[in-house]
Amino acid sequence: MQDLNVAGTDSIPSIQANWASGRLEMKGDSYPENAFELYQPVIDWIEVFLKTENRPLLMQLQLLYLNTSSIRAMMDMLDLLEDAHKQGKPVGVTWLYERDNERVAELAEEFREDYTLRFDIVPQE
Amino acid sequence: MERVDVQTLRDAFIRQGIMLCFNGPFSATLIEEIGQALRKHMEGLSESQSSVTDVFTAYIELTQNIRHYTAQAGLTGVDAQATLTVSRNGEGRYVVDAGNVVKAADGAALVDRIESLAGLDKAELKAAFKAQLRQPRDPEAKTGAGLGLIDLARRSSEPLSCSLTPLNDGFSFFSLRVVI
Repeated sequence: MQDLNVAGTDSIPSIQANWASGRLEMKGDSYPENAFELYQPVIDWIEVFLKTENRPLLMQLQLLYLNTSSIRAMMDMLDLLEDAHKQGKPVGVTWLYERDNERVAELAEEFREDYTLRFDIVPQE
Repeated sequence: MERVDVQTLRDAFIRQGIMLCFNGPFSATLIEEIGQALRKHMEGLSESQSSVTDVFTAYIELTQNIRHYTAQAGLTGVDAQATLTVSRNGEGRYVVDAGNVVKAADGAALVDRIESLAGLDKAELKAAFKAQLRQPRDPEAKTGAGLGLIDLARRSSEPLSCSLTPLNDGFSFFSLRVVI
């Protein structure tokens, strides 16, 4: 499977999916009109990785604002990781945010409370 | 054509605390550009990150909803023009108002939905949001699948309010107010 490399803009985050290192990183704001057009390849990438590899997969997020269709797409990605976690696969999520941006912390926390996989929400100075 | 009366517009903007106003057809690019301007303007006023995010969220959800609806309903010309204002009310709260032409039946359904959300407290709105998030997604649907209104209600400091005014030929003008 190929790596993904999406350059961010004002309305979409930068996305890097690295097969060799098992890391998926997304950074920035996400409010495209059609979030699934953007995220379907990422969802597919996660699905194939989890199906073919038993190595750890870490999703590292530095997302700021997500519109509701991006939130819906994020749920699909987290559901895939949660299923893998329940099958005993080593997956995890780290969500970094600036300490004074409490809306981001609330958003991350609302996701986290629906899952049992390792999900760290880490404030940055 | 009627002459534009700049001073009357200005007086109304000042009286009503309007800091941003747009009327016309929204393109995806325009939504982004105006959104960035709104954000930078609010950051310049040294607003907290939370209120900047809440106002920006209300702005994005409202304008993207209108754009999706207008396209899906096949509205064109003046019917595809939306009106948006961001203002501050007497208590210093930010208010985002948006209005657009809708089919009368769609407008009535929206009013029902907004009235049903108005009766929910914050915890119930959160539960409604999560329940809606878990609804199966229509693969053809581009939008947040009905999440937008609940998200707006959650960020609003008072219940969402709306108005629906009949126009000709089975259309109405719908407007929605979010008070941050």
